[in-house]
Amino acid sequence: MARYAATTLLRMFMTFFVIITMVFFATRLSGNPIDFVIGQGITQEDRVLLTKYYGLDGSLWTQYLSFLRAFTDGQFGLSFLERRPVIDIVAERIWPSTQLLLTSIALTILVSIPAGILAAIYRRGWIGSTVMTVAFLGYAVPNFVLATFMVLVFSYVLNWLPVVGNGTALHFIMPTITLSAALIAALTRFTRNAMLDVLGQDYMRTARAKGLPERLVILKHGLRNASITVLSVLGLQVAALAAAGSVVVESIFAWPGIGDMLVRAALTRDYPVLQFGVLTVAIAVIAINTLVDLAYAWADPRLRQAGRV
Amino acid sequence: MTVAVSASRPVLIAALRDLWADATPMQRFAVGLGVSLALLAMATPLIAPFDPNAQSLLSRLRPPIGFDRAKPDYLLGTDELGRDMLSRCLYGLRLTLTLAALGSVIGLLFGGSLGVVAGVVGGRTDTVIMAAVDTQIAVPFTLIAIFLLTLLGHSITVMVFVLALYGWENYARILRGETRKLMRMPFIEAARAAGATPARIARRHLLPNLMSPIVVQFTLSFSNIILLESTLSFLGLGVQPPTATLGAMVGAGRDYMPTQPWIVIAPAVLILIVTFAVQTLGDWMRDRADVRLRPR
Amino acid sequence: MKYLLTATALTALMVTQGFATELKVAAANVSSYLDPGRDHSNVGSQFYFNTFDPLIHKDYSTAEAKWVPGLASEWKLIDDKTMELKLRQGVTFQNGEAMTADDVVFSLNRMYQATFAPYQVRSRDRLENFAGAEKVDDHTVRIIVKRPEPLWETLLNLQQVFIIPEDYTKGLTGDPMVAEDSDYEAFSLAPVGTGPYAVSEFVPGQKLVWTRFDGFWGDKAPLEKVTVTRVPEIASRLTALKTGEVDMITNVAPDQLALVDSEPNMHAEGRATALFHVMIMNVNHPKLKDPRIRQAMSLAIDRDTLNEALWLGKAIVPSTHTMAEFGALYMPDLKTFEYDPERAKALLAEAGYDGFEITFDTDPVYYTNGLLAAQAIQEMWATVGIKSRIDVDEKWTGNDPEMMARNWSNPMYFADPFGSFGVMWAPGGPSESEGRFNTDAAYAASWDKFRYSSDIDTRRAAYAELMERIKQDPPVLPLYQPYESWAMRTGVTWVPQAGHIPYVLDFRSGAITVDASN
Repeated sequence: MARYAATTLLRMFMTFFVIITMVFFATRLSGNPIDFVIGQGITQEDRVLLTKYYGLDGSLWTQYLSFLRAFTDGQFGLSFLERRPVIDIVAERIWPSTQLLLTSIALTILVSIPAGILAAIYRRGWIGSTVMTVAFLGYAVPNFVLATFMVLVFSYVLNWLPVVGNGTALHFIMPTITLSAALIAALTRFTRNAMLDVLGQDYMRTARAKGLPERLVILKHGLRNASITVLSVLGLQVAALAAAGSVVVESIFAWPGIGDMLVRAALTRDYPVLQFGVLTVAIAVIAINTLVDLAYAWADPRLRQAGRV
Repeated sequence: MTVAVSASRPVLIAALRDLWADATPMQRFAVGLGVSLALLAMATPLIAPFDPNAQSLLSRLRPPIGFDRAKPDYLLGTDELGRDMLSRCLYGLRLTLTLAALGSVIGLLFGGSLGVVAGVVGGRTDTVIMAAVDTQIAVPFTLIAIFLLTLLGHSITVMVFVLALYGWENYARILRGETRKLMRMPFIEAARAAGATPARIARRHLLPNLMSPIVVQFTLSFSNIILLESTLSFLGLGVQPPTATLGAMVGAGRDYMPTQPWIVIAPAVLILIVTFAVQTLGDWMRDRADVRLRPR
Repeated sequence: MKYLLTATALTALMVTQGFATELKVAAANVSSYLDPGRDHSNVGSQFYFNTFDPLIHKDYSTAEAKWVPGLASEWKLIDDKTMELKLRQGVTFQNGEAMTADDVVFSLNRMYQATFAPYQVRSRDRLENFAGAEKVDDHTVRIIVKRPEPLWETLLNLQQVFIIPEDYTKGLTGDPMVAEDSDYEAFSLAPVGTGPYAVSEFVPGQKLVWTRFDGFWGDKAPLEKVTVTRVPEIASRLTALKTGEVDMITNVAPDQLALVDSEPNMHAEGRATALFHVMIMNVNHPKLKDPRIRQAMSLAIDRDTLNEALWLGKAIVPSTHTMAEFGALYMPDLKTFEYDPERAKALLAEAGYDGFEITFDTDPVYYTNGLLAAQAIQEMWATVGIKSRIDVDEKWTGNDPEMMARNWSNPMYFADPFGSFGVMWAPGGPSESEGRFNTDAAYAASWDKFRYSSDIDTRRAAYAELMERIKQDPPVLPLYQPYESWAMRTGVTWVPQAGHIPYVLDFRSGAITVDASN
């Protein structure tokens, strides 16, 4: 087990290293922050001055070394745009993002697993089609359209819910729904299909033959085996949520989160923020996926016996 | 579907007839919808009443026929530059379907084969492929898209490439998992023991059993790509104006949702219809592909 | 001193009467840093005026240059290159420090004799003529220029030379006796000035909170607290205003004005802003070297139709690079830029245009209606036969030799042609230095007359010469002064004032009233 943990850690570390190195070279290749930060209409002389001031005048190699050094000073460098330690900027945004991510995952699990099971059991009935139709809606509407639509209906017209920021519990309702809609749709679908796979398996037939009540068979055997698929899908979707989905939610609901920070840093080539931000998300995603892998091993007896996932 | 590819013509028709007989009304409806969308997209240049980029600046933001201020020429009204919404929707549908189809197929071929290889071969190959998958999963895709689009330009070709890159890791990861599971199954071990070549194992035993996850992932990926394209437009990274795609129309029109909602509603409804058709067909095929769930 | 006492007494009185008014603003953008010296962005200019003062204020309610005492109570020229200013007494900074001549000299020289790179950049394009400031006694300073300066007051009213506290700034990091670069950077996160509102909370790019500074030397601020939050989506801003989450919103596009007008509990205020949206053309691009091609690009654009269609006719289309805010140097009679598609076609034919593709770069969101205008321009070009492609990118391409045409803005940094055209198109200035505009000795001579002559007519004549050069070999086409709008709930009375540079959120006494009962 200790050896397994060590290998896993080593692999995680390697992935981080590859990611930050790729981010470093990718950003340097794709543009100079001077062009974004104060770039409009400055003289060539001033450009040189600013390039030097921001420490962008060294060779790529020296910049890379000083970039790696920035990881050791505990500040992770200064933002080009805001000129304050990157760690402060990320710290400011990580909690609002985590909150939203957690509520969204909770909502997703609460809704999609029961819905998926229902849709599988009543595959040919109206319950099945209704569940799948509703679930598909979450997949079929761009989330900013869904969000803006909710804003117009529930806030502009009805004035039930607040729009701006993350002050109260009410503020969470629309962002959480927006963020989870696609995930709920996907997970319902995967749960349904996984359940269908499981329902046809031999051990289910055996369990039924043993005279166990249908409901218990489904819950005990079905759910446990379906959870393998469900978990892996959930693990996969978190990274997508952490940026693509959340930047939309954060823009519309003025939510001070990490997705908005990352995309703005990428668009303005604010390298230090981008680098550390990407690393933060990567750590979260890899941690979640490691957990999922462990749960996977737990859920699948065959893999559990095989030892390593 | 693997059966269909190798089957002779009469058998194929019989199989299709069989399929149709087995379909629920909803599924038949979805087939009809899918076929009409594909036909519409193909016939767009013939049926669109206007050039999708032709502007009439002084007739901006006209509502669809039947509302106040509507102009009779513009069935679905005009957009923020006085372009015909109907023509833009048709051309948008055409390009969106093309982009999504190309993107999903390329993603499937690329990610799927890597996943199966990783699952079958295992060992160091598996480690390398999965490391690449882990890396892609851990980096928010929006950032990868921003980087690629700035580096390679905003052309349609680059867009297809970016869209294809979205989701390959899903195919790879899911198919690798399924393959590994299958490889431990008694019937494959038996085939191996009987001396079947890896290619034969893959064709005869793996592929039929992988159809279900492939089809589900493909239909998800198809709609995902349509949505990704609209998210990129939201961030100002989509196809370049004035080119119309459904995603770009929705992305650019969102500011008008409180005032001129038809600019968003028309393309959003089309996205909805496309997704509905694709996913219903996907569900259906998945159920068919799953041998154990067939009637009898 | 007596004045100050009354102000304090008045404060006490109003507080006890329960005038604790608060304003919440949803802005499309909030600055990433707050330093009036380094900043000249349209986002930043919203925020400085409430917190800082210049030495010389003006009557901001009018476009005319009516100078009034700011932190200097009086000023006079003692020779043609030296101005002596008496400082207002009893002024304190928001951190409690008293303002002295040292603070003023420090603030001015941080720009005039800049060592911090971002200040050097800002200073070069507009404060080049200023040699330095020196202290005469605790309440008197002298400012010395290199050549006689026709725009003294204008250039002392600039945002870049708002006054900041010396000891506070130097003490922020490192050695408290030395102004290090890191001090200026720390200042931009915790700015302190002498204005009526102190910045009490600042989250870069996200949120700014002002609280009333009771020690302010002038008329008491009408609001107790102002919170500005970034809400980038217009639908969300409008909704927040409707639900009452905020009292005021910025950046309402003309297409949304009808909605605001139709709501009984809100209203919009706007004006044609002292700024040009422009199209720039790269005179050095190999394919655009022939001026006739660029003239045709310019002549093909029907700016009046753009105004009619995109701005409800409320923008101002200029005939030359001039605006009413320039006062005596406003020259609408010059005809530098026109719409003439026939002539455009003829010029293209003469120049042998072979149908090559012209790229038009545009930022996706920065300029209101910018993306729409770009697409409309593309269609207008198509009607005279110019083929074009739009390239949407946030990246600034004005310094890229491959750039052919793109949108940009020429804001009025101060009310003089020098503050708009002059900053951007000076010999050796940013446009020339970025390699997309050329000048020669004759242009430089006209420019020098325009910049330094003390005679208005000479300046006007020189400016006309410059405009003629621009017409003959065009690097730029001013499209219009955009009509920018703000919306607010009923009970809030505020208008963008004519005397300010663009986008200033002026919440000082007399500029805003808020009906607290609402």
